[in-house]
Amino acid sequence: MRFQDAARDARAVVYAGIQADPLVGRAASLLVDATHAERLLARAVMNGQTTEPDRWRAMFPMLFGSAATAEAGDPVRSEAILEASLAVADRGEQVRSQVRGALVEELTAQLLARRVIATDVHRERRILFDGVRAEIHPYDVTIERNGAAEAFDCKWGARGINADVLHQLDDARSNAAAEDETLAVALVVFDARRSCDVRLARQTAPHEATGVVTLETLDGLAEPGP
Amino acid sequence: MSDETIRDLIDRALDAYAVLEERGEEIEDEWSYVADLSDAWRTRLDAIAAHHGTAEAPDEAAAAVDLAIDEIGRIEDPHRAIDWLSTFPQVVLLAIGERP
Repeated sequence: MRFQDAARDARAVVYAGIQADPLVGRAASLLVDATHAERLLARAVMNGQTTEPDRWRAMFPMLFGSAATAEAGDPVRSEAILEASLAVADRGEQVRSQVRGALVEELTAQLLARRVIATDVHRERRILFDGVRAEIHPYDVTIERNGAAEAFDCKWGARGINADVLHQLDDARSNAAAEDETLAVALVVFDARRSCDVRLARQTAPHEATGVVTLETLDGLAEPGP
Repeated sequence: MSDETIRDLIDRALDAYAVLEERGEEIEDEWSYVADLSDAWRTRLDAIAAHHGTAEAPDEAAAAVDLAIDEIGRIEDPHRAIDWLSTFPQVVLLAIGERP
């Protein structure tokens, strides 16, 4: 098993520009320490219609209201997340969608870099196996280290879970096993576990050995496994 | 405190949610996913109403739920509606002090 940079085709070049957008990095840096409520605020605002901040503040009284608590969120960070999320929402519909996808990837990479050596975390990588035709689509985030490699595909919402991505992750895991290598695979979905479970229940593609990280469990990416 | 109960807020939210579901069903390929997703979240909200429905709703919670209802009422794109079929119940649950 070996890792390789994805081909620099037109899609990759355009997407690299989105990934390099300072707004993506800023939003991810805010969300890396955010609470569940703050992350849900980001999800709502980035996919919302209204761009009036006071309406969002009122929609999240546990963060901005008179009964706001430190457990729910940090007031300064919540305000910064609201501002960054509105900046994402202010983009055109297609760009907004790309920014959201890049954000989940960047957030995943930043969280993983708290668990492993940062230089072991890579983006947009293909995984090659002897005698196996390489997948065209790269993996969003990988951890590349001897004996404990990991591959992640990142999704903004549960609806992004589909047969193709489940097959790709499971094929990589099983191909690694065939080479006596360990490759843990997981989906990272910036959505609720309940919604992911509904989506996964409809899938016949193999996913029993695929981890699922959701809004509720994102912090686990930064923590050592059991 | 408003004169409303948590059940009042959830009932209002579920009425709006039904309209959002109809919008999402416009994507024919996702019809059954939309139905299952809506059922799952409706079950969660119903459970909260059954257990805590008689509790008085704080004013801030009522305002938050009404704004969330207004937000989904603005949605015309069925793809966005599907995304909000997951987001809206989470916003409502947090507003009334429950974990999604």
